[in-house]
Amino acid sequence: MASIIRPTLLRQTGLAASITRRAASAAAAPTSIFALNSAFRSTVAKDAMRVAAFHASSRRSLLPPGPQVIKGSVNDPAPVPEPHSTHGSYHWTFERAIAAGLIPLTVAPFAAGTLNPGTDAALCALMLVHSHLGFQAVIIDYVPTSRYPGLRKACMWLLNAATVLVGVGLYEFETNDVGVTEAIKRVWKA
Amino acid sequence: MNSSRVGVRALRQAASKPNTFFSHNIPRLALANLQTRGAATTPTLKPEDAQAILAEQRKRRPVSPHLSAYDYGQTWFGSSIWTRITGSIFSGSLYLFSAAYVIAPLTGWHLESASLAEAAAAAPYALKSGVKFLLAWPFAFHLFNGTRHLVWDFAVGFNRTIIKQGSWVIWTSSLVTALGLAFLV
Repeated sequence: MASIIRPTLLRQTGLAASITRRAASAAAAPTSIFALNSAFRSTVAKDAMRVAAFHASSRRSLLPPGPQVIKGSVNDPAPVPEPHSTHGSYHWTFERAIAAGLIPLTVAPFAAGTLNPGTDAALCALMLVHSHLGFQAVIIDYVPTSRYPGLRKACMWLLNAATVLVGVGLYEFETNDVGVTEAIKRVWKA
Repeated sequence: MNSSRVGVRALRQAASKPNTFFSHNIPRLALANLQTRGAATTPTLKPEDAQAILAEQRKRRPVSPHLSAYDYGQTWFGSSIWTRITGSIFSGSLYLFSAAYVIAPLTGWHLESASLAEAAAAAPYALKSGVKFLLAWPFAFHLFNGTRHLVWDFAVGFNRTIIKQGSWVIWTSSLVTALGLAFLV
């Protein structure tokens, strides 16, 4: 019987404690945007129990969500993004194809023990695209447009600039030095 | 015994063998099992209060994916966030090195493969092997876990036991590969 009521009790107790703490901290810091709106605070304190009832998982604060921006009314649906031929499933398949292509390109030169400039150039190109797409996905996940529109744009352009710079660097390294595969091999066996 | 089964059992017994005690007590047993609730508790909300509740709800949504968004009993050990973390280490290193290689002539840094190999050769064996292991493990893990996620993308291998076994295979094989690459190659 205790096991039936325990989760609910625990959740409500924990939530009540966190509400009290948050209300206290909001009162202590009048610059907080929430402190400016006392109606907001009272509503939240009143309805937080009901809000929590819809959230089955416990709260995680490892990566706190950013500031909240709600456009329109509460009943407006989430906007559907404009369809784009290079986004969505094509983009997804492209990411996977690049990743799958990297597996033989990474393993083959070391397994075969030969130096082939063509393979090395292909490896560099795919690594660059793979990294670029990976960083793009990271930015999309952790710097959402709805919360940080300016920062999102800045991050994307910084990434584009960095990728161009890194592409130039890889080209220089491939043409002036021994190539990525051979360089790694020499350093590894040094 | 689960309390919700009491009434059911009483009903079954009453149905199988007529018994005056149970047939008299069925209404009471059934009532004891009912949940009681107060009157409707939904107050009328002003639009700004509704906005406040929505904002509060949205603040509780987890930012995904991150390390504590996965279940330890299921996909935590083989989660894609590990592939992302290990991949970011290497992509970050690649970006830093290549950018540094471009500006090296201006700053006078020596980042040619010959000087890098010399520096590596000069390092003591323990340091060299340690660094090699710390590079080899994320590499092997990214390769193996990434391959598994490519398999998952074909909607194959989502059985819970296979997920758990796969995590074991990935961790042991990546550790063995990393030890081999660090100390044998």
